[in-house]
Amino acid sequence: MMAATPTLGKFVLRTLLWLPPCLAAWYFSAHYHAAVAGALAHLLVDWFNPGIVSALEQPGIDLVFVTTLEVHPEPGRTGLLVPEVNPLLYTYGLAFFVALMLAAGAKWWKILVGAVALLPFQSWGIAFDLLVQVGVKLGPDVAAQAGLFGWQREAIALGYQIGNLIFPSLIPVVLWAGFSRLFIENLLRSQARNTPAHP
Amino acid sequence: MLRFFILFVVILVTLFAAELTQPVQSAVVLPWTEALARISAGLITLFDSNVVAFGKILQSTTNGFAVSIEAGCNGIEAAVVLIAAMLAFPAPWKHRVIGILVGLSAVQVLNIVRVISLFYLGQWNMKVFEWAHLYLWQALIMLDVLIVWLVWIRMLPPSSPADSPPPPSADAGVQHATAP
Repeated sequence: MMAATPTLGKFVLRTLLWLPPCLAAWYFSAHYHAAVAGALAHLLVDWFNPGIVSALEQPGIDLVFVTTLEVHPEPGRTGLLVPEVNPLLYTYGLAFFVALMLAAGAKWWKILVGAVALLPFQSWGIAFDLLVQVGVKLGPDVAAQAGLFGWQREAIALGYQIGNLIFPSLIPVVLWAGFSRLFIENLLRSQARNTPAHP
Repeated sequence: MLRFFILFVVILVTLFAAELTQPVQSAVVLPWTEALARISAGLITLFDSNVVAFGKILQSTTNGFAVSIEAGCNGIEAAVVLIAAMLAFPAPWKHRVIGILVGLSAVQVLNIVRVISLFYLGQWNMKVFEWAHLYLWQALIMLDVLIVWLVWIRMLPPSSPADSPPPPSADAGVQHATAP
């Protein structure tokens, strides 16, 4: 037996009620899903710029990328660059997506598939956060060591902005809409039924 | 659906790339962000006179705490998403224009609430501020965009393809039968 489609107001209220527990679950499981997104990001960086990342470490939630790039903090001293990325900035959409799906009464397998579908976009954000540190923020010397010049640095900047400002909050909604077409149709119809017709 | 999705992505990427260019930053983004700081300060002074706005910064004159309204917090990305969704959806132009104008207002009103709430949350507890700023409000603003878009679709005239009845399906029948 299927649940009745709620009105838009009820759907929004359910989403708002589901969001806090989903955020809590997302945060307390962050170490695990960040590890998966981080590993995918490592692959993405290797594809974009092979050889600059030698290892990925995760002491806590943050991801630490050990690079092959050298830095000189003081004259005569050389170290390897190890940029850190906060994966939570790119994975919070998981909590938002699950809240939307639960509010719509979605089946558990759709939630699972959606969570997996979010991973490439989360990895995109993490990868471009690392690349923007290496290719843009840390200056031309580090960028040159990484072999990043001209258009590549522009592409990295654009990729970072998309991964930071658009993907984390938009992709959960897009996936939800893709999984919930029937729910949306019924939501709009039930809303229309509840709205008095104009004479 | 596919046509809508492709159009949505093309318009979104075009508008977003345009937003990042220097001329648009100078002519639209920065002036709007500064106006947002002034509007927020103006509203706050209705109940708390200890606030000043300069540039895109909102600062407390009591304890010096300040927030700088940066990309992602000025509501422009949310506006870009809403505009792309309304332009990509088949609808009469009159309804698109009205929808965009009203929708952008709704998004920006909530964004002002976000800026003001963050201004006070930051003075209270930085951990809570970070959570609200980086995760919670981002989701709430996008939820606002989704609500505005759904309400707009519902208000499209019946002649529009948006309101034409979808093809009958067994699932839809079951769901209707169980609706209250």
